[in-house]
Amino acid sequence: MSVTPATPLAIELKSITKRFGAFVANEDVNLAVESGKIHAIIGENGAGKTTLMNVLFGLLQPDEGEIWIDGEKKSLPNPAAAIAAGIGMVHQHFKLVPSLTVAENVFLGMEIRKGGLIDHAAQIKKTAELSKQFGLQVDPNERVGLLSVGIEQRIEILKVLVRGARIIILDEPTAVLTPQESRELFQTLRGFVAQGMTVIFISHHLEEVMEVSDTVSVLRLGKNVASRPTAELTKSDLVQLMVGRLVSFDRLPRTPTIGKTVLEVEDLWCRDERQLQALRGVSFGVKAGEIVGIAGVAGNGQTELAEVLSGLRPSSHGSLKLNGRTITGLSARDIRAAGVGHVPGDRLVRGVDRNASISMNLLMGRQDQSPWSTHGIINRRYLLEQTQALIKRFDIRTRGPESPAKSLSGGNIQKIVLAREFTGSADCLLIDQPTRGVDIGAQEQIHGEIMRQRDAGKAILLISVQLDELIRLADRILVMFGGTIMGEISGDRVDEEEIGMLMAGVVPEPRPNQVGAA
Amino acid sequence: MEVLERLLNISLVIATIRTTAPILLVALGGSFTTKAGIFNIGLEGQMLVGAFFAVIGTIATGSPWLGVLCGVAAALTLALIFALLVVSFKANEVVVGLALNILAGGLTVSLMKAIFGTRGSIFGHGLVGLPALKLPNVKDLGWFGQMISGYTPLVYAAFILVPVLILFYNRSRLGLYIRVVGEKPEAAEALGISITRIRYISSLLCGLLAGLAGAHLALGYTTMFTENMSSGRGFMAVAILIFSNGDPLKILLGCLLFGFSDALSLRLQTLGISSYLVLAVPYLVALIGLFALSYRSRPRLIQETLASMGRVLSVKSNTIKPATATDASKP
Repeated sequence: MSVTPATPLAIELKSITKRFGAFVANEDVNLAVESGKIHAIIGENGAGKTTLMNVLFGLLQPDEGEIWIDGEKKSLPNPAAAIAAGIGMVHQHFKLVPSLTVAENVFLGMEIRKGGLIDHAAQIKKTAELSKQFGLQVDPNERVGLLSVGIEQRIEILKVLVRGARIIILDEPTAVLTPQESRELFQTLRGFVAQGMTVIFISHHLEEVMEVSDTVSVLRLGKNVASRPTAELTKSDLVQLMVGRLVSFDRLPRTPTIGKTVLEVEDLWCRDERQLQALRGVSFGVKAGEIVGIAGVAGNGQTELAEVLSGLRPSSHGSLKLNGRTITGLSARDIRAAGVGHVPGDRLVRGVDRNASISMNLLMGRQDQSPWSTHGIINRRYLLEQTQALIKRFDIRTRGPESPAKSLSGGNIQKIVLAREFTGSADCLLIDQPTRGVDIGAQEQIHGEIMRQRDAGKAILLISVQLDELIRLADRILVMFGGTIMGEISGDRVDEEEIGMLMAGVVPEPRPNQVGAA
Repeated sequence: MEVLERLLNISLVIATIRTTAPILLVALGGSFTTKAGIFNIGLEGQMLVGAFFAVIGTIATGSPWLGVLCGVAAALTLALIFALLVVSFKANEVVVGLALNILAGGLTVSLMKAIFGTRGSIFGHGLVGLPALKLPNVKDLGWFGQMISGYTPLVYAAFILVPVLILFYNRSRLGLYIRVVGEKPEAAEALGISITRIRYISSLLCGLLAGLAGAHLALGYTTMFTENMSSGRGFMAVAILIFSNGDPLKILLGCLLFGFSDALSLRLQTLGISSYLVLAVPYLVALIGLFALSYRSRPRLIQETLASMGRVLSVKSNTIKPATATDASKP
């Protein structure tokens, strides 16, 4: 899979394997980065991009494999060794000191000193020079605490440059930037390669990879599945490489159910933390006894959609209806009371209280309802009975109902959340990434439970980045891209290529609804 | 008018400088730990053992300077224990600080009993204080000369340390690293600066100055040791450190405020005002000062509360809005 080098290689990784316990983060990864090029590394969340870069920067030690830099075999026991070898890394999370000036931050750890004292004037001058040479506009005198994220990133890049890096790794640099700032960054990166430097750029955004990179390597489940010149690839090729070929279409058997519409979403808009439009007019409906899947490359508005629907994020426009009743703008509690169950994407943050017992986690949200409690006092006997029944029904592997949630494995924690949400009185279930980080056995059980809820007549919205999960469960799949729904695909007529194009933001020629099985 | 004249004159300034010095020394010591991100409530205890061992050292050797050295060494030992527990073993800094304060109080009392067989205070026994420095040629400067001459050396040290510390934090590498460790430990770590090392150094520098402050209290400010003679100065320093964020100039201002009210209370006593009321003056001034300073951050608090209430309200109003909003958006 490796490229035959036309130009000398800046970096060559040979058969890198990195394990964390039983989990293999990188498996036999070969990567060749040509000198003077922008090399993008793309893959879904958890594909092993950051691990690989941490190995290259000396933050992690590979279990197997070799690292070659500029044609020389190197061992990189720590970041200092990587810096000495000419590698610089701009991390996703900035490490700047707010009360110091730009110049002080740039030179922190390698101050210019005169007579034992820090020579501020020289540091400011040097910073200004570097800033000019590489087109990274900053005011060296300004305090970092007052600056925008885009400028903070420039300072991080300057920090790397001042340490003499010729190979620069950027870990998801655009994740925190506005589109305008991203464009400026790309210009800077092109400037770097024009001056003979090498850039490694980690991303999961197809657009920017297509726009800025010379070469792309795709990581999937810890393996390098392709390294090719960007010009030879299309966006839908990339999506297919990222999510992988769909090996089995093992759809769970089902009887068609036609119920009335339970959840109605109309023209929904919202903004994300950076005040960028995350949803741009999303409309769909979910009927009783139906699973509607939401597919898409992570970061295309799925998270925000789940948050708006569950009342955790305000919408800026549009309406939500449950059984014909408007629930727009209600609080999370009121939406729950109206009949929406929510299985959050991040179970440890919003799904459970890790320190509370299983029984308390099962009680949460209905502690003021009879028979769970009477006159404000928890009915402990009822709670214990129910907990034991649910532990049995959902096959939660635990030592007992009073064990803290954190003592359980990821799959079993997820089963607690399902057990709570699926036994309430909700008509509509909002299920976000139900099997993320869950082992195969638990996955089977979770999928079975979701199907039972469907057959019981619940309206289910299933958000997942795993296509095979959607194909297995969903009656219809909506594909999201850039905050809109690009198209709809019937669950039993999924065409890999079509879904790939939709995920890449390309509308296939014949309208999606009319496409038959390929 | 006459009362004011009796209160506000050159000797009040001199008294202010005298009363400011010990608290300034200990607060400047605390600025190291504050800047390094450690909340050091143990200043009081370090100051107290500093004072006690300065007296012991002086009596034993006959030299007040060797006494100062003894006091500093004792305070450093306490600071080292503090650093060991807080930095290395990651114990809660407030608990450790309070425990060491109690230890210092008990230790000095029981040692006093063991060595001198008394409680209360130690004086005599050949105890000599630090000499007062008469600056040369100050006679020509008139009242200003009178104001700046005749203090014990540690008073000068305290005031000279203010610009020295400003320079230290702004221009020296160690000072910069102490600030970085306190403000953004992860940045320090990423650059290979050892957080543990910097915090140990800060704790020991703090102990050094707290020891000097104690020694000054026993050998400069007075020439004796009395039980619990630091009498809350360490805690006042902590209060000043909280609102000054460890900045030397702000520390100086805060300490002058305390010193002034302390000196003023001494003068008020001469006017025949109840000594209980008078003795409360410095603490009242401290409370008012702290309240006034924290008041600045209050508008933000109010704003944030309003904003969050506004969020709730705007969400509520949304329930009415969507019907019209969606209709309007329909083509």
